[in-house]
Amino acid sequence: MTRSPKIFLFVSLLLVALLLGGCSGVLASSSWPGVTVVDDVAYVAYANHVYALRTDNGSMLWRFPEKAEGQRLFFAAPAIADGHLVVGDYLAVLHSLDPQTGQEQWAFTGAQGRWIASPLVVDGRIYAPNADHNLYALDLQGKLIWKFQASKALWSQPVSDGKRIYQASMDHYLYALDPANGQKIWARDLGGAVVYSPVLSNAGIIYVSTLARNVLAIRAEDGSVVWQKAFENNFWSQPLLHGERLYLGDLGGKVYALSAQDGTVIWESNLGESLTGAPTWIDGQVVFTTESGKVIAFTEEGSQKWVVTLEGKIYNGPVIADDRLLVGIAQGKVLIQALTPAGQQAWAFEPPK
Amino acid sequence: MWDALIITPFVNVMLFIYNLVGQNFGLAIILFTLLIRLITHPLMVKQIKGAKAMQELQKNEKWLKIQEKYKNDREKLAQEQMALYRELGINPFASCLPTLIQFPIIIGLYQSLIITLASTPIELLNLIRHIYPALLKVETLIPLNSQFLWMDLGLPERLVLPFLPVGIPVLAIVVTVTTYLQGKLMTPPSANPKDQSAMFSNMMNLYMPFLMGYLALTLASGLALYFVVSNLIGILQYAMLGQLNWKNILPKRAAEKPSKVGAKK
Repeated sequence: MTRSPKIFLFVSLLLVALLLGGCSGVLASSSWPGVTVVDDVAYVAYANHVYALRTDNGSMLWRFPEKAEGQRLFFAAPAIADGHLVVGDYLAVLHSLDPQTGQEQWAFTGAQGRWIASPLVVDGRIYAPNADHNLYALDLQGKLIWKFQASKALWSQPVSDGKRIYQASMDHYLYALDPANGQKIWARDLGGAVVYSPVLSNAGIIYVSTLARNVLAIRAEDGSVVWQKAFENNFWSQPLLHGERLYLGDLGGKVYALSAQDGTVIWESNLGESLTGAPTWIDGQVVFTTESGKVIAFTEEGSQKWVVTLEGKIYNGPVIADDRLLVGIAQGKVLIQALTPAGQQAWAFEPPK
Repeated sequence: MWDALIITPFVNVMLFIYNLVGQNFGLAIILFTLLIRLITHPLMVKQIKGAKAMQELQKNEKWLKIQEKYKNDREKLAQEQMALYRELGINPFASCLPTLIQFPIIIGLYQSLIITLASTPIELLNLIRHIYPALLKVETLIPLNSQFLWMDLGLPERLVLPFLPVGIPVLAIVVTVTTYLQGKLMTPPSANPKDQSAMFSNMMNLYMPFLMGYLALTLASGLALYFVVSNLIGILQYAMLGQLNWKNILPKRAAEKPSKVGAKK
């Protein structure tokens, strides 16, 4: 065989590989940054690294791992307690890092699926939901205490009132579990998959939105439905509970302020752009983010105050740090953009190569 | 445009089939691949017939004569070839055109499969956006049941046996074997095995199975299942048209025996 057919063969095979492999999507862009703020440090999980950033100026304190490791990807917002920063990756490993240095303290490898949801740390115990359908309860040394199996993947962070753990699942159910042993106390069919976490009020009501275009208020005590309301579009968001109101946006581009008492719509606005994640309350205004990169503030009465457009995609609501809004940006040059409550840009963090 | 015309309809048909077969994603992939291959079957028949006509033309006496006669005059050679095509009623593009039409359909099928195999948040968001609400209900479809036999179709496949320390990549092995068989069985016999196109075919038949096997090893097993089904349907289509070249996989001696006997006589 002469040289040119060999080259042609090589190019052909390369093209086939690129076409088939490339079509299958890039795993690194399969989710969005998970951001957690503790005191004056923001912990950001995105793609190949977990970053620790100073919240006053965005400078990087450390990152883990120092060198990217292929398909080891981090997207779930880290959880922190008693000197442990707990963060899961897409290779089914849950890591405990030293929050000061980023050094690994232990790794839990007992799960089979991706860690898409953030863990919850309550009373010295880690409750970590995994895509393998299980909620794992671990002690702070990473030792398994119990696990609870749902029938589909768990993508949402559990919530707790200290007495029980409440876990929403893609299998359409909300489960109330005994934190001592993981036994199911009650389960409520919500009619659709829950992707984001519910929110729990001090009055013992769990508010949850579903892909079945509804928002429900569930009594934490017994799982009974206090009210439920149907909407036009699917929800992929966590409601924000502020005062007597719930704020949330849907995949069709509408934002709502609802009465937490009965679900009545107080006001609504059509942004025309898909909204995911949870809105944030700051300085008397509710701040939403849209997929196309807009950060939009509304007054309590529903009139728009300001809009900032950032480069990249935003799938998560802003997180408050030092009276600033930290916005995690996917598929952009900047990973974290800090904004003042008036929407002015404070600092931006670009991950080092 | 591509999304609206090809991908979205394909995704919805696939999910419609998924619902019809009791939310079994593996069966849905098999049936959807079969459906697309049935629809494109007439194009494939045209392609095979066109290729066969061109192949037979290479042995035609007139063709060989004009090749020899005008080997130094390309323009005249082209004119004479076109005249011969007309005389014999052969369309030189008869095998190319159906391939060109099939190609975007097959790529669309592959891309729609990837969209439906959503296993990460952005992939699932993307899938939800492709669903026609008038035809399918997101609340009953999501999450898709990606379990098929021992596989999670959204993840690379390994068969884990209790007595083995590592999982066996069964589908990757099957993809490698069926791609090899398909390549060998579908390659027409060459008049001159030493010509460059025959050598290229042989090399492709050798390397392609390993490339496909590697992709099956690393990509979601739903795609590997599609590769297997597609290979088997391809072989079946060629078999139905009587175009399988068994000589390529039978041992050489057995294939050559009759001619040796004939030579002794």
